Amino acid sequence: MSERVVFWYGCNAIRHGDIIHGASALLRAVGVESDPAGGPAYCCGTTEDGNLQSAAGMAANTIRKFNRSGRGTVVTWCPSCHRHMGTFMGGVASANFEVAHITQVLHARRHLLAPLLTQRVERKVVLHAHTGFHEVDANPLVADLLRLIPGLDLVVADYSAPGHMCSALVAVPAALKDAVRRNVELTVEHGTDTLVTVFHSCQRLLCGLATTDGVEVVNYVNLLTQAMGIAALPDEYAQWKNAGSDAEIMARVGPERIAKVGVKFFETQVLPELRRLPEK
Amino acid sequence: MKPDTDQLLAYIERTVERTLTACTGCGKCFDVCPMTRYSDLLPGRPGGEVVAGVLDILRGKAGTPAAVEWTRLCTQSALCIPVCPEKIDPMLMLRLSRITALGSTGAQPLLPNPRRDPEFFRRINAFAKLQLSEAELDEWQR
Repeated sequence: MSERVVFWYGCNAIRHGDIIHGASALLRAVGVESDPAGGPAYCCGTTEDGNLQSAAGMAANTIRKFNRSGRGTVVTWCPSCHRHMGTFMGGVASANFEVAHITQVLHARRHLLAPLLTQRVERKVVLHAHTGFHEVDANPLVADLLRLIPGLDLVVADYSAPGHMCSALVAVPAALKDAVRRNVELTVEHGTDTLVTVFHSCQRLLCGLATTDGVEVVNYVNLLTQAMGIAALPDEYAQWKNAGSDAEIMARVGPERIAKVGVKFFETQVLPELRRLPEK
Repeated sequence: MKPDTDQLLAYIERTVERTLTACTGCGKCFDVCPMTRYSDLLPGRPGGEVVAGVLDILRGKAGTPAAVEWTRLCTQSALCIPVCPEKIDPMLMLRLSRITALGSTGAQPLLPNPRRDPEFFRRINAFAKLQLSEAELDEWQR
């Protein structure tokens, strides 16, 4: 793998700026300089099964941008993007780069990461796992990385939720509720109050458990950066979701940032999402 | 039709053809699916029968209600992949079934094709504006 790569974080992960920044810092720490790329301008098109013209346009546009970047490797974050690149996107346009998932890159270079994890993180945590990312067996890779953190007590339970990440379950609400309930049960069974997510959509859909069940949900990236002693950005999405009221959410986001997206848009499109809490 | 769309349709056609050739309809993929219990229609069905309906959908035909239901319920759990004796990817088969059932390849639609939430990408951009600096927005998102 070339030493400078594109870090393709996908679309929806941007709800968690802390994860994007933290992941970039981890890549840098293991000797991989990255050019982050994501958002709608780099959509893989996986959401467009009902509109193949749109799907093809998005896929081709994104591959051509990566081809023009001159980077030999695209490091993925999102399992949907990774899967789509390996299937449909490759059918639309030729790629002149290799693809690796960030868990593979960090795991392969964990000997470089381990000496940097000097800060103890005295917590017992349960790994929140899914079955579906068959292209990359990310759960054990992340578990290995977390075991490098001094003080961290990691529980890898014998339960993995269906789907490749929680957002896949949204279309089947009963399945999502089952997954949420089982994960809360796991924290109780193992005497902890913390779940560790691998993917952004799990972080998005579960972080409200702090309010509903007193369970803190943390992405593995943030545990690793904490152990490195990096002054990581806070998980603002989780803070907003657990703020308790619209007024408190708006106070935490602040009028300046709300003005950037427009007050009306914030109230009609952002607030309703932040109000929604996990159900079980 | 744009060339990119032609390429995608050709890929889908090739993959459907390969699936139809390789799949023997044994039904093992259905039998291990963790999602069937979330349907009133699927528990207890013979796997081979449901898979035959999926193959029918891939041929551009009506399939069966059970096949359409299984297609709708797939959340990409991937447990079907290691049990396939023919080493096809049943999860990809169901994705192709979904694309076909939505009417995207020109077949009769069997599933409702909900328009994408028009605010989907605008919300993503809004969260980006809330959390990235102007320089990051310029360099990373454009």
